[in-house]
Amino acid sequence: MPIVEPSLVEVQRTERLDLEGIDVSGDWNTFLRSRVAVDLDVKILDWVKGHPQGDTISRCWQCGTCTAGCCMHTDYGLQEFNPRYFIYLAQIGYEEELRRYADTVWRCVSCNKCVERCPKGVKVEEVVHTIGSYLIASGLAPESPADRFDRAYTENLLRHGILDEADLFRTYERLEGRKTPARQILRMGLTLLRSGRLHTGPFAHRARRWAQMRSVLRAQLARDARCPAPTGAADRTVAAEGGGVR
Amino acid sequence: MNPVLVLGGGPAGLSAAGELASLGAPTILVEREGYLGGNPKRWHYSLLAPDLRPTEEVMDPLLGKIEGNSRIELRLSTTLAKAEPVEKGYRVTLRSAGALEERDVSSVIVATGFDHFDSRRKFEYGYGRYPDVLDFKEIEIMLHEDRVLRPSDGKPPKRMAWILCVGSRDVQVGNPWCCRMGCVVSIKQAVEVRRKHPEIDAYVYYMDIRTYGLWEDLYWKSMQEYGVKFVRGRIGQITLAEGGSRLMATGEDTILSRPTEVPFDMIILASGMEPSAGTKEVATLFGLSVGPEGFLTPRISDLNPVDSGVPGLFFAGAATGPKAIPDAITEGMGAALRAFQYARD
Repeated sequence: MPIVEPSLVEVQRTERLDLEGIDVSGDWNTFLRSRVAVDLDVKILDWVKGHPQGDTISRCWQCGTCTAGCCMHTDYGLQEFNPRYFIYLAQIGYEEELRRYADTVWRCVSCNKCVERCPKGVKVEEVVHTIGSYLIASGLAPESPADRFDRAYTENLLRHGILDEADLFRTYERLEGRKTPARQILRMGLTLLRSGRLHTGPFAHRARRWAQMRSVLRAQLARDARCPAPTGAADRTVAAEGGGVR
Repeated sequence: MNPVLVLGGGPAGLSAAGELASLGAPTILVEREGYLGGNPKRWHYSLLAPDLRPTEEVMDPLLGKIEGNSRIELRLSTTLAKAEPVEKGYRVTLRSAGALEERDVSSVIVATGFDHFDSRRKFEYGYGRYPDVLDFKEIEIMLHEDRVLRPSDGKPPKRMAWILCVGSRDVQVGNPWCCRMGCVVSIKQAVEVRRKHPEIDAYVYYMDIRTYGLWEDLYWKSMQEYGVKFVRGRIGQITLAEGGSRLMATGEDTILSRPTEVPFDMIILASGMEPSAGTKEVATLFGLSVGPEGFLTPRISDLNPVDSGVPGLFFAGAATGPKAIPDAITEGMGAALRAFQYARD
């Protein structure tokens, strides 16, 4: 039977091999890469369980009702999006496999059919998002520009209480490590300012008594973030919690 | 000696009344329905798991001990309206056809049993909407009369599925317990079908197979001798397929990690066990504590499963939790002995 999955095959190629006049050059030592699960990490389950949205994970008994009704999996046909499997990988702590789904895990559209149907009362939608958060928090998933924008946005709101577009732009530029030419910024800024879509500067509208509200929100974010830190990524936990505000 | 009151004419109640009579105790057997035999009679159970013994071979001897027995006062279509403790035993009011009658009894055995789960409550399976989705209540009589035909068009099915744990182990319907017999009864039904109609394919959708103890043998046989197929995964929903002529079971085969959408001609739901309406009424009448599941709780279930903890009141059968017929019969015997001892002393 031919092996069709190239990522699993390790080939040792021999360009010219002549044995007693017989040409035997070609692919030698074609091995299958090991697919044995050798490293299971219980910390994943602890992390997800310790998260306010992930605590129902340990109720899951792998019946597959969530996946059976999942609109991404069944209706949309994205077979890699399998909430039952994500939960299983997190339960047994198979990080190596789980990280392959770092992107897919976020495809949930929160229809919540799974939560409605789960016979064990697992909040599947929340748990799957928490597993995604774990992957980001532990650095297993590269942070996407969208994630960085989310961070800039949250930071901005916390700082001002109301969106300050110029500040948001500055923060995002910094997080992205990007430098837009000054002329371009000026032109864009003026256009927005004229159309009334840019709120910035000392005369812009501000939320009243925001400092007080901010301290409440910050305290809550800190509480939310107080779940077990993932391996070697304690400093990134806060960011994944939607905080990351200093 | 005042008579012993037995509430419920299912296997546990029949067993208790029969044993009491053979001990020489006068007995009143009260049954809500107009016939004896409980759920096995009501739903015409076919063969009993795991030995594939016809239900009559078990129920008839139990019934034979009751009918025409001079020590047993049989009260069909009768319910308990009131019960108050007296110095020894209870003063009970029986209601039949609107007429009330007061009786003094020396002790009471509660054998009010279970009701099958109403599968309409699991609405995503379409029971009650799609005629070919059946549950234990209908399939057993079909097997009993050997006419396994689709209710929609009267044709024999080509492919059948069983879905386990419907109304059991499910917090969405408020029934977190295991019904204990759904696995073995489903497998028994599949074996019964395959034995008589080997041309019908039988699939069982399961999460865990709990054919505990010696029942495991039937599970193995079902695969090895009868070719019943097992798919691990819980069906999420049943819809119509092929222009409404067949049923589509959508689920995940969790071993394949793949969605499955398989058309079936008939789907059987393994409807679980719930405390019966009678069990709930009796709990209220006697002021008994019930567990979180709604079943009656024996005082120390490990030590004596028939002892309610209330003097002169004993339990038998599925009123205290899902039970197989032999267990109910055994508890009926135990309760009879304890009730007799209490009445005599």
